Amino acid sequence: MVGMIMTGIICGGLLGFVMQRGRFCLTGGFRDMYLTKDNRMFYALLIAIAIQAVGVYIMIALGVFEYSAGSFPIIAVIIGAFIFGIGIILSGGCATGTWYRAGEGLIGSWIALVMYMLMAAMMRTGPLAMVTEKFYGVQFEDNSMASSFNVSPWVLIIPFVIIVLILVYNQLRKPQVKIPSLKPKKTGLMHILFEKRWNPFVTAILIGMIATLAWPLSSATGRIFGLGITSPSANILQFLVTGDMNFINWGVFLVLGVFLGALFGAKMSGEFRFRMPNVKTALNSATGGLLMGFGASLAGGCSIGNGLVMTAMMTWSGWTALVFMILGTWTATYFVFVRPQKKARAAHATAQLTQ
Amino acid sequence: MVKRILAVEGLVCPFPLIEAKEAMALLQSGDELEVQFDCTQGTESIPRWAAEAGHEVTNYEQVGDATWTITIQKR
Repeated sequence: MVGMIMTGIICGGLLGFVMQRGRFCLTGGFRDMYLTKDNRMFYALLIAIAIQAVGVYIMIALGVFEYSAGSFPIIAVIIGAFIFGIGIILSGGCATGTWYRAGEGLIGSWIALVMYMLMAAMMRTGPLAMVTEKFYGVQFEDNSMASSFNVSPWVLIIPFVIIVLILVYNQLRKPQVKIPSLKPKKTGLMHILFEKRWNPFVTAILIGMIATLAWPLSSATGRIFGLGITSPSANILQFLVTGDMNFINWGVFLVLGVFLGALFGAKMSGEFRFRMPNVKTALNSATGGLLMGFGASLAGGCSIGNGLVMTAMMTWSGWTALVFMILGTWTATYFVFVRPQKKARAAHATAQLTQ
Repeated sequence: MVKRILAVEGLVCPFPLIEAKEAMALLQSGDELEVQFDCTQGTESIPRWAAEAGHEVTNYEQVGDATWTITIQKR
C-alpha cells in the first residue's frame, strides 16, 4: 500500500510537473491543427507515443509483465471520443490538463474536474452504467492491430517510429523565428526547471519516458496498465461516497500526483494564483467537464488513456479514439471560435457600411 | 503612434490570444498593443504569435504571481 502510494504520487508528480512547465496541452494542440494550421503539438504527442511504444514492448518482450489489449467496442469508442473532443474544447483542457490547471489555481478547472469525476462515476456505478453497457454490446474481439494482421507488434512500431522521426526532422528543419522570452531572474538549474521555456519536443520526450515508467510501477501493484486518468478520477469519487477500498488503486495516486506536481511547478515558478473565471467560462467548464466524463467513459479513455497509451500499444481503440477525439475538438473549435469570429467580422463590416 | 491596453486577465486560452489578434488588426503599423494576461499557456502562445507574425515585442515581463504583461509593436 505504501509502495503504491509512493510510486503513484511520484509518477503522477513528474507528469504534472513536466506538463505544467512544458505547457503540454493536447486540447490546444488539437485545436491549433485546425485554428492556426499548426501541427507542432500533435507531432509532440506522436513522439511521446513512439517512445512509450518502444519502451513498453521491450518490457513485454523481456517478460516484465503480460499485456492483453482486450476487445474493441467500436461504436462506444467513436461516439465517446468525439464527445470527449467537444468537451475538452469547452472546458479549455483535457482530463489531465484539467488536473494540472487545477494545480495552477484555476477555479474553472476545479469546476470542470468535479463535473468530470461526477459524470465518470455515474457512467460506471451510477444510473448511466447501462448506457455504457449498451454501447459496449457492439464490439470486435480483437483490439490489437498486430494480432489482427497476425504480425509482430514491431512490424507496426518500427515504421511508426520512422514516420515520427521524418515528421520531427521536417518540422525542425523549418526556419525558426526567435520567440521572445522573459528576462531571466534565476540562474542554473533553477532557471531551467522553474523559468525557462521548454521546447515542446523535449517535453514530449520526457512525457514518453514517464508514460513508459508508469507501466512497471503500476503493474507491480497489480494494475497492468500505464497512465490513465478517467477511471482513477471516477474511483476517487466512488471511494469518497462509498468508503469501499476496492476503488483505491495505483491510478488514484497517479492523478493526485499530477495535481501535486503541477502545484509544485507552478508555486516554484511564481505561476500559482487562485483565479476565478467569469460566469460564461465557469458554465463552459462545467458543461465541458460533464461531456469529458461522458465521452472518456464511453470511449474507455481520455486523451491520455486512449490518445497516448492505447495508441502506443498499437490498438484499434487507441487510434480510432485519437482520430475522433481530434474531429470532436475541430467541430467544437468551429462553433466556439471560428463562427463567432466570422460573425463579429461580418457585423463590423456591416457597421462600417452603414456609417 | 497609439498605445492600446488590452486587459484580458481571467480569460483562459486561447481567448487572450484571439482577443490580442483582433485588437492588433484594428491598429496601424508602428502602434503598440499591451496585453495584460494571467493564462499560463499564454506565455507561450502570445509571444510565439507575435514573433511569427513579424511584430516586435518591446516589453515582456512577469509582473506578479501568474500575471504577465507583453507589449507588441505592430509591423
